[in-house]
Amino acid sequence: MVDSLLNGQVLALAGAAIAATLGGIGSALGVGVAGQAAAGVVSEDPNKFGQVLLLQALPGTQGIYGLLIAFIVMVKVGLLGGDGMLDLTVAQGASIFAASLPIGIVGLCSAIAQGKAAAAGVMLVGKRPSELAKGMLFAAMVETYAVLALLVSFLMLNSLQL
Amino acid sequence: MAVTDMQKLTVIGLNSSRTPFLHELMRLGVVEINSQEGVVNDEEWMPDIFRTSNSADVSRLEADIARVSVALDAINRYDTGKKPLIHTRKEIKRNVFVDHMNATKTATEMNVDHAVESNKKIADARTEINRLRTVIQGLQPWETLDVPMEMTETAHACLVLGTVNAKTNGAQLQTDVLAALPSAVINEIGADKQQKYFSFICWKDEKDQLYEALRPYGFVSVTLGETKGTPAELIQSYEEQITALEQEIQEEEQKLAALSVAKQDIEYLYDSLCMRRDRAKVVGDMLSTETVFYFDGWMPKWSREKVENLLKKYEFYYNIEEPDPDEEVPILLHNNGVVTAFEGVTSMYSLPARHDIDPTAILAPFYFIFFGLMLSDAAYGIILSVGCAIILKKYKLEGTMYRMFKMFFYCGISTFIWGALFGGWFGDFFTVAARTMFGVDFVINPIWFNPLEEPMKLLIFSLILGGIHIFVGMGVQAYMYIRDGHPLDALFDIGLWYLLLIGLVMFGFGGSLMPSLVPVGKYMAIVGAVGILITGGRKKKGLGKITGGLGSLYGITSYLSDVLSYSRLLALGLATGVVAQVINTLGSLAGGGIVGSIVLIVVFLAGTVFNIAINALGAFVHSCRLQYVEFFGKFYTGGGREFRPFERKTKYVKILEEDVEDGR
Repeated sequence: MVDSLLNGQVLALAGAAIAATLGGIGSALGVGVAGQAAAGVVSEDPNKFGQVLLLQALPGTQGIYGLLIAFIVMVKVGLLGGDGMLDLTVAQGASIFAASLPIGIVGLCSAIAQGKAAAAGVMLVGKRPSELAKGMLFAAMVETYAVLALLVSFLMLNSLQL
Repeated sequence: MAVTDMQKLTVIGLNSSRTPFLHELMRLGVVEINSQEGVVNDEEWMPDIFRTSNSADVSRLEADIARVSVALDAINRYDTGKKPLIHTRKEIKRNVFVDHMNATKTATEMNVDHAVESNKKIADARTEINRLRTVIQGLQPWETLDVPMEMTETAHACLVLGTVNAKTNGAQLQTDVLAALPSAVINEIGADKQQKYFSFICWKDEKDQLYEALRPYGFVSVTLGETKGTPAELIQSYEEQITALEQEIQEEEQKLAALSVAKQDIEYLYDSLCMRRDRAKVVGDMLSTETVFYFDGWMPKWSREKVENLLKKYEFYYNIEEPDPDEEVPILLHNNGVVTAFEGVTSMYSLPARHDIDPTAILAPFYFIFFGLMLSDAAYGIILSVGCAIILKKYKLEGTMYRMFKMFFYCGISTFIWGALFGGWFGDFFTVAARTMFGVDFVINPIWFNPLEEPMKLLIFSLILGGIHIFVGMGVQAYMYIRDGHPLDALFDIGLWYLLLIGLVMFGFGGSLMPSLVPVGKYMAIVGAVGILITGGRKKKGLGKITGGLGSLYGITSYLSDVLSYSRLLALGLATGVVAQVINTLGSLAGGGIVGSIVLIVVFLAGTVFNIAINALGAFVHSCRLQYVEFFGKFYTGGGREFRPFERKTKYVKILEEDVEDGR
């Protein structure tokens, strides 16, 4: 029973799932926090909708990065666009799982943190509409680490030989 | 480099010609007038000189502007006409504008009054409707009570209304009350989730006994107020009032919608009032005596002739001088052609201080390259450029908006170039479409290489670009040291770092190009490192001279993290490419045939819009970040104050001069 579950394929898919799920959860929480702040500002001044929407979108990228890694995993194991799933050894599956961890974990945490920074940026725009770029930059500083994690996940997957 | 030279202007003129002079000065729009606040507090100046206080004028005009703005908002809310996507100022010749204002002013002011009145009526009616709805809600439980509400008693009997908790047993209550007062009449009128509603009729002199009997049930008596008629009648009459009010709102809304034909005139009025307000306001910034007025301010050097001509015409006393070396001067950027488009990137961070270099010209090429590299899809680049070009052609944009669209137009070109180099055309859409729809193999080959297959190559390329970017930033700092007469600082703080960093790179990676580079790099790095150790603490005292050098050398970690930060160029480029592939793969899942093709195209269109939007935003933000954090960190401080000339700050019209026609 355990053997049939703990094989290469399942591990690889678990990796894809971790990347997409954790990144997605993080982005959902981050975008949610920023959205609450944005709604508050728009209730005062509906004209700021476009500006605060830009800020709200910023923590959404981690979910996309997670999706991206999940997609690459699926292509790599032949689940998408191939001739059916490859047979993977446990070691191969575990490697793919490991490669999915950076974007999953960092994506989750950084999206939440970025959501808070974006919410603060929304407040900034509420008080000083001309400082939109600075608000965006504060949120983008957080995103750096998600970008780095994405890069690590990608490079690990890319250099894995199956 | 490209910060406009400013000159200081001091003027003394006659009060009698102040008003026409201000008109013409505003028309020129090149002089910033300093506020004279604080100056008059000097005892020396008092009491003959005073600041002209016309705050009453200003606040009257402000009130007018607020009214016109309320009217415009109200009309816009019900204006069904098509609104342009992007707001632009309408161009109009000055004499046409003046004639038009003279001809329509009275009618327009009446229209404003009407609009404000309608707006108020609508707001009042809404409030009244809300109030009535609340009253109706309170009455609804009593709707079946068929006694007029003004009747609370007859000669001998009295009516008591009230509520008990919804959980109360009604039958038990009735039995208990009847036991105490056999002659009472009890009606359960209604019930809702919280309460049960009762009416009691009893003899007047038994009223106290009734309350006594009801006490165990937690009875709360209710008074329905002074109104006449049964609750049902009242509810009906209130409903009728609401209908009438809604009718009124509709009529007023129609009136407002009908006023939309006069909207343009009202907008003209708004602008004209704003200009009057600004002229009135600026008088408050000047000093006056009985007969003359004084002001000082700043103007760009290139406008000197125009300003002098104006001042000579009015025969005013004036003085133009160069600013003192350490005086704070307002900043106006001046770049030519393509570079102007990128001024927004600089001003979003902070304008350069007076002795800073305007970094726009240096950052523009890097911004261009980085943005394209991060979006890196030829088709997206075409869409971006063409979209911006259409908007620029269709709308007469000005100022920041114009520069932004212009910048994205150039960035689109860069995106196209990088996309073609990396073989990204909507990701791999054409390959997927050819396979799904026609069953053919079709590949657009990249001109250079495909980063999805050789990511390490692009990573190294990105880091090299980053290294160049940082070196240029350090170079600017060195230039500034030398310009300010500190060539040794340039040598110690920049030159030695160049030596160390280049040496390290040659030591580490030079071997693959030419083996002899390795030892050369090693000695360069050692000389650089030792130099930094010795000179890093030169401005400190005592023990600091030694630790300062160590501290400086430790700064090498920041160069490492700075360069690694450019790996985002690769990551974001990959993100665009892979998301595009995800979209195309999803679209192709429905298989071939007509249905499959339709699914592919629908998924493709929706996905592409999403991908461009999210990744262009990412490319914009991260290109900015690389400039602000990694590049500006090396040399730029900013903190300059924007040049704000006294000019026509209009929102709806752009007034054109007709120098030739009326000879001015």
